[in-house]
Amino acid sequence: MKITYNWLKDFVDIKISPRELADKLTMAGLEVVSLEEKSGDFVLEIEITSNRPDWLSILGIAREVAAITNAKLKISNFKPMKINRGRGLLKIEIENKKEASLYSARIIKGVKVGPSPEWLKNRLELVGCRTVNNLVDITNYILFELGEPLHAFDLDKLAQGKIIVRRGKPGEKITTIDGLERTLSENILVIADSEKPVVIAGVMGGLNTEVSFATTNILLEAAVFNPVLVRRGRQELGLQSEASYRFERGVDLEVAGKASLRAAELIKEVCGGSETLFQASGLVKPQAREIILTLSDVERILGIKISAIKVKTILSKLGFTVKNKTKDSFRIGIPSFRQDVNLAEDLIEEIARIFGYEHIPMSLPRISPRVTIRGRRDLVSDLKNILTGLGLNEAITYSLTDAKILNDFEPATDAIELMNPLSREQGFLRTTLLSGLVRGVAHNLNQKQEYVALFEIGNVFLKINNSQKEDLKLGIVLSGSKKMLLNEAAVKDELGILNLKGAIETLFARLGIKNYEFTKQAQGSKVDIYLNKDSIGSISMLDSLLLEKFSIKNRNVWTLEVSLEKILSAANLGKKYLPLPKYPAITRDISLVLKKEISLKDLLVLLQEKGRPLLRELEITDYYKGKQIPSGYRGLTLSCNYGSNERTLIEEEVAPVHNLICSTLIDSFGAKIR
Amino acid sequence: MDINLILAEIDAEINNVNSSGGLEQFRLKYLGRKGIVAQLTAAIPTLPQSERAAFGQKVNALKNKLSLLLEEKQKGSIADSSNGESASFDMGMPGIAQELGHLHPLTQVTEEICGIFNRMGFSVVEGPEIESEYNNFTGLNIPLEHPSREAFDTFYLKDYSKMLLRSHTSPVQVRAMKDSKPPLAIIVPGRVYRPDAVDASHSFMFHQVEGFMVDKGIKFSDLKGTLAEFAKAIFGKDIKMRFRPHFFPFTEPSAEVDISCIICKGLGCSVCGRKGWLEILGSGMIHPNVFKHVGINPKEYTGFAFGMGVERIAMLKYGINDIRLFFENDLRFLKQF
Repeated sequence: MKITYNWLKDFVDIKISPRELADKLTMAGLEVVSLEEKSGDFVLEIEITSNRPDWLSILGIAREVAAITNAKLKISNFKPMKINRGRGLLKIEIENKKEASLYSARIIKGVKVGPSPEWLKNRLELVGCRTVNNLVDITNYILFELGEPLHAFDLDKLAQGKIIVRRGKPGEKITTIDGLERTLSENILVIADSEKPVVIAGVMGGLNTEVSFATTNILLEAAVFNPVLVRRGRQELGLQSEASYRFERGVDLEVAGKASLRAAELIKEVCGGSETLFQASGLVKPQAREIILTLSDVERILGIKISAIKVKTILSKLGFTVKNKTKDSFRIGIPSFRQDVNLAEDLIEEIARIFGYEHIPMSLPRISPRVTIRGRRDLVSDLKNILTGLGLNEAITYSLTDAKILNDFEPATDAIELMNPLSREQGFLRTTLLSGLVRGVAHNLNQKQEYVALFEIGNVFLKINNSQKEDLKLGIVLSGSKKMLLNEAAVKDELGILNLKGAIETLFARLGIKNYEFTKQAQGSKVDIYLNKDSIGSISMLDSLLLEKFSIKNRNVWTLEVSLEKILSAANLGKKYLPLPKYPAITRDISLVLKKEISLKDLLVLLQEKGRPLLRELEITDYYKGKQIPSGYRGLTLSCNYGSNERTLIEEEVAPVHNLICSTLIDSFGAKIR
Repeated sequence: MDINLILAEIDAEINNVNSSGGLEQFRLKYLGRKGIVAQLTAAIPTLPQSERAAFGQKVNALKNKLSLLLEEKQKGSIADSSNGESASFDMGMPGIAQELGHLHPLTQVTEEICGIFNRMGFSVVEGPEIESEYNNFTGLNIPLEHPSREAFDTFYLKDYSKMLLRSHTSPVQVRAMKDSKPPLAIIVPGRVYRPDAVDASHSFMFHQVEGFMVDKGIKFSDLKGTLAEFAKAIFGKDIKMRFRPHFFPFTEPSAEVDISCIICKGLGCSVCGRKGWLEILGSGMIHPNVFKHVGINPKEYTGFAFGMGVERIAMLKYGINDIRLFFENDLRFLKQF
């Protein structure tokens, strides 16, 4: 909200410069976001928090200035409006007093509508309000000055005799002063005469009863409407105005009377005319409220002793009444414009604000020691460090995505949809991390990166019956080839499925997980990962359809996604020492040529079984290619490590086992030993 | 062959060897399969019984001496060659190591923030991203249809009644205070969501860290002291800090916290809008209504709470000017951290 320095001075003597004033207001919670010298005055733009509708006026801010600078507020106490129950010429009917706690009307006849005087125009322009004519400008002037939105009707365009505050009727229409026709509903509060709705209550007036240069007789409305109804009305109509902004936050019943009087005086002064009628209906009086405040509570909350005199001064400057209860406690009367104050804590904040947060000392709390156990989060953090150690970069991708993209990865029938998404592209919660990660790959390939290796650890969201589940997942994507310059030459390592297998095996090793298995699906290139016989995810290569959808050309993309939830719950972090071997081992290498269809997994399992108990380790230690290897075959070296815990093995013991290994290779797998 | 003669000559002979090829030749000449030692050994059985033992000993002595000489010569030559290699080695050649990946800058900043509070004695607690309307709003003293909700525009879920994506990490306050009794000192990192159109400074998904402490005798001055320690730890000990009154529905009194601009050191620049101050977090004393919702007696216990945006802190710390960079996952960006 914009205010001006000189306008403030109408209500309070200010002895400090506009700059100093701006700083002091900011430090009291009225954040001044800009200060500008303009037309011989200074305009301050202040961000008003939603709890302080009373600050949406020059008067409210002047009251703050009085408290901050210890000056006197130049305004007499308001008296509530006298209610006279419409028996005169005008009848005011409020259908539900909870929806309009006050409706008052003044009839002023013989006004001369014309351009506003300079001073009035000038002030309105400084605070960013368009000037219309003297009458409308005066109602706006009072809105900015006192915070009460007023409305003036052309009396002669109202059907005579009656003002009704009621809900709109379905299908009823009104053209507002901005020239748009709007359709009303039962959710919207309106002001109507005996024939038609004339105002959307608290939001905007109707064109048909608008004050024009031809107007001579007016009805001046000052009312207080229910904040929630005004809010719903303007939301339904998609309208916002200075009036609705204030009514939504709460307009003070007492200030309404003052505003009506002050506006009438100004109208008579500027536009002439004379008041012929005043009528008001509504609730008689706001309830008086009191809060007990003790000095010890002030200290308990703030951590500093503030004297009784200081407390009294601050609160009375802010418009509270302060009566001593005991030496240490007060009865604080809450003014009607402070509907936000309900508890002693609210008063303590007021004291602290004006006392100055900067004057409250700093202390450190005593924290009761609690040994915190390394938990799931710490493990996740370890895993992230391992993955970066393997050369993978951590990505963070959006949890909101397009259902179509999710479906491309797997049927996303269990995806959760948003009720109010920003766009279709962000309409669903992700069921896989891969959609975001592959987008990351595509982005980086577009930037001409040779090698992309990303991972993300984050939640996916699944609909399960009528409930929802957040599942912590790990996703890894790889594409391209990794180049490394070694001693003699550069090597280029085309990334693929084994890099993903290696990464996940490293994590399993860190977590002490042994009972896992990789199983290739019958069709396609997908490999399922099992943990204790339970499927926890898979490794796969993106198919050409998906690559095309992400505009990835001439590249393979390898993906892994596993449930980290399941992996972490299988973690076995206990460690046990195995005695080091006492006797030396014998190593025998076998170089062999195998048909490519032979599964190495089956081969290793069978050999390990045959070699028991002397065969302690069996490893593939080399691959070889070359002319000697016919196509459809592969060459490799198996390293067999034999040993015993009881004695040093001699040649005669190892030979039969090793021969069995060799003959198994030949007989069961058709291997050729070189 | 006279063993004594051989023994006398080998010292000189090995001295003349000056290449690894020559050394191998020397080894083969004496110790090879058909070398001199082998020939001598093979000759033993042809000798008369009485000479065999003495001859055998001499052959052994020769063998040992040769081994010793070879070993010494080899040691010397390895040292020589490695000296030579390091002398000719060009330190402009790249070193050889596994290239490390990088943790996302938001992870690094989150860990740094949590780490600071961890060391002060706070424990890390996490909460779900899908929340009830109650935990996100009502339990935090943000009533329905109140203008204070305006600041918390929220994504709601279709097909679920009153479920939403949390718009802040504060619902974990409600959860933690329901779960355990004070004293509590908790820090909560996490993803949050608000329907803001994406631009350089807005994102519909971002990260927050929430912290709170509840005990007997926690005061506003403790909040100030704790956050001052935090600011120094994360932005350096010369950082200045100020507390401004503000409004949050779940704290009373409430404060916004500014730090002196880390770009211009408080002189005023475009980053701080010429104010010299940067807003970095919201905080306050936990509102008695929040305590009532979770069954803690506000007359007995008090507490403070604070919350900050991780992206905001990371942007200030690293000088990043566009929030979208965090979610693009461009390797040229990620590898800088």
